[in-house]
Amino acid sequence: MAEITLKSDITGSVWKILSKPGDQVSEDDTMMIIESMKMEIPLSSTDDGVVKQVLVEEGSTVTEGQPVLILEI
Amino acid sequence: MKFENQLKELGSRTDEALAMGGEAKLAKRREKGVLNARERLDVLLDSESFCESGMFARAIRPEVKHKSLADGKIAGYGRIDGREVAVVSNDFTVMGATSSAINGKKIRHMREVATERGLPLIFLGESAGARMPDRMGGSGRAMLGQDPAEYLRNRRTPWVSAQLGDCYGSSTWYCCMSDFVVMRKGATMAVASSKVTSRAISHAVDAEELGGWRVHTEITGLVDVAVDSDEQALEVVRNFLSYLPSNSDENPPRVAVPEGSDDAGKILDILPESRNSVYDVREIVHSIVDRDSFFELKARFGKPICTGLARIDGRSVGIVANNPKFKGGAIDVDAMRKATSFLVMCDSYNIPIVFLVDQPGFLIGAEGEKRCAPGRIMNWLNAISLVTVPKISVIMRKSYGQAYLNMGGGRNSHEVLCWPTADLGFVDPTLGVHMLHDVSKEDEPERYEQLLAELQHDSSPWPLAELYETQQVIDPRDTRKSLKRLLDVHASHGTIGRHRVANWPTSY
Repeated sequence: MAEITLKSDITGSVWKILSKPGDQVSEDDTMMIIESMKMEIPLSSTDDGVVKQVLVEEGSTVTEGQPVLILEI
Repeated sequence: MKFENQLKELGSRTDEALAMGGEAKLAKRREKGVLNARERLDVLLDSESFCESGMFARAIRPEVKHKSLADGKIAGYGRIDGREVAVVSNDFTVMGATSSAINGKKIRHMREVATERGLPLIFLGESAGARMPDRMGGSGRAMLGQDPAEYLRNRRTPWVSAQLGDCYGSSTWYCCMSDFVVMRKGATMAVASSKVTSRAISHAVDAEELGGWRVHTEITGLVDVAVDSDEQALEVVRNFLSYLPSNSDENPPRVAVPEGSDDAGKILDILPESRNSVYDVREIVHSIVDRDSFFELKARFGKPICTGLARIDGRSVGIVANNPKFKGGAIDVDAMRKATSFLVMCDSYNIPIVFLVDQPGFLIGAEGEKRCAPGRIMNWLNAISLVTVPKISVIMRKSYGQAYLNMGGGRNSHEVLCWPTADLGFVDPTLGVHMLHDVSKEDEPERYEQLLAELQHDSSPWPLAELYETQQVIDPRDTRKSLKRLLDVHASHGTIGRHRVANWPTSY
């Protein structure tokens, strides 16, 4: 099975994590919400797959391009 | 019968040409579910409209004449929805559809006729690059560069590329110069094949990693749409062309309006009341344009801006919409490139542009600076200044900073409309109070609230309206009605522009 790493496309802080390892997800499902520029910005899955690992915690800061989640597709 | 022998020879040569690279190679393609070069033309073009040009062309080298049917590229004219087009379909079963002196002449002829007669030009890409030994040495060079206009792009007529297999050489070059590119997943496109690249750099490179659909839809932006099959790709080509005129001297076609298009929809439900919440602007686009008419381009690239063709009241329009769902709508370098190239395409083919604005400014940071963000911003402003088709800007929510101009603010549009929710600040007002006055909510709550109210009023659409910097403030539910009315005005004598960006670079 191939793996895809989802990366944060914005610098901010992780406000809510909405997925956990083992979850079956579809393309465009919201995986987590990142707070930046006073906005709550969803990070969406780019493919259908299963969540393998969540690499960040709620409250942690993330930078643009930082890996945040691994998906098995 | 008179001339029996000559007619017999015509018949046998025709059969030979139609057999392409032979049954074994054609069967392999059928097994993989991939169409051949002639089948692609059958699917793409209106029934029985194909008029082939150069069926009996062969390679210039005598030792390969016997196997170079149509010299590997099938060219000709056909119709799409009744309108004439010129087309080049690469036949990979014949010498890998490699580029040569003779098939180069075919491409040149199609290009010249398309330009002279105002026909869209379509390339069905799948080619192994330059033919060897034809291109080697001095004699090979003598075949190259004979046409100084070979790679000149003046956008006189739309060019479309469908990448339907391994694309190297001409299939890649013409893709880069095309106005629209669709790619079948599994096809690849690069300067050189993964085999050649791996050998040259002594490091194995996977073909998908080098030039697969993800690379080109998400990273390079060279491909607008990726699909699962040849048939889908060809349908998408037909769909794209339905929004455009045949050439830059014509207005785009106007079509009937589907029933149910005037239903205002749930536009107020889509826009969140909280300024901190985001939404997908494509839902707003769908509620404004004619039903089912939105055709998004580059959906996977530069996502903070959504670009696409649509119709309003049957007229083709180009939509440039900030999408807060991605990066809060903050405009990154890829989005800048995407917006600029889309403006160039719309202007070149007389398509009015509608901006839907909700952006917190350009995405700042080291990553963008390394990719020359200021240069891209200025390219975009240069382009918008040169665009002469009607431009209408609807400020829905935020329009911060310099990007206000890039999204059609001020005199960069012919009409600026605001929703009552428009916010013309430079930053979120809660941050603005702190930045401008050094006052915090915790330390001076009363003064903070007063300054916040002042800032929110100053940023509202009302001062803008009083200064006539927005021509209308409208109920969001009236957006479609307002756009229809303004398009009636600005398109009342057609939308043929002055094409001042017709020679804009095709990739940058």
